[in-house]
Amino acid sequence: MALERRDGNIYYYLSVRHGERVCKIYVGAGEFARIFAEGAILRRTSRKAQREGEKAELERLEALVVPVEELSEAAEDLVRAHLVAAGYHRHRGEWRRARSA
Amino acid sequence: MPGVLELSVDAKGRLTELRTVSETAEAGDRNARKQLRRLVCSSSPEVIAEASDIAGRAQWMLVKTISAGEPLMQEALQERMHQMRAEIASENPTPLEVLLTERVVAGWLLVEVLEGLICAQYQRDVTAHRVPPGHVIQQSRILESATRRYLAAVRELARVRKLQASGAPASFRR
Repeated sequence: MALERRDGNIYYYLSVRHGERVCKIYVGAGEFARIFAEGAILRRTSRKAQREGEKAELERLEALVVPVEELSEAAEDLVRAHLVAAGYHRHRGEWRRARSA
Repeated sequence: MPGVLELSVDAKGRLTELRTVSETAEAGDRNARKQLRRLVCSSSPEVIAEASDIAGRAQWMLVKTISAGEPLMQEALQERMHQMRAEIASENPTPLEVLLTERVVAGWLLVEVLEGLICAQYQRDVTAHRVPPGHVIQQSRILESATRRYLAAVRELARVRKLQASGAPASFRR
């Protein structure tokens, strides 16, 4: 999307991609072009703010998850260490006590 | 420098050592098993205490998030968690059982918080901006992973209880 100035007039064009080619489509001139260009800037800014808001929300969710994940990993390591120290071993995912233990 | 909701560098190092020696012992090394017994006795109480402390702080952070500063909601959640702990932990639990119970409670609370936050998005004004599908998918993944961890925590506690009941190895005795 672009506002172009030629011979003292302003023109607004939309850029549209057709495969590898990019075509310019005439939208309007003069005051109409200016209004359309300002509207496009507002829409772009609003979309950017939405994207940033969504990203911040995901980061917030992930920040809530991190301590619980760390706790889970620590608990898993500790359980495993206790079980192995007590003579257990894993057989196809199931914990079994060694006969000699 | 770890944050308040992270294990200390020392605890992380002890966990890494426990993990490494566990792997060697599981592979059949008898000396490693002896070393692991010593490590479990010397290191695990401190690590368990630190992890339990983190569990408490993580739960408090989740309570504050879901209650959005409402004291009544905070009280209700804390009472619910207190009841859960009492229901889940057996009488005279070992420190490891206490940690696993805290993990179950924290996992349950996290799932509740995530479900609440995600549901709130769908209850917004219908004329407001629609959440793009990619965002919803990412949120669902976070929730799915938290639910999986919660269920794994319940299974792990049940497994430890079952093993304690069947063999009562020394490190599990109360």
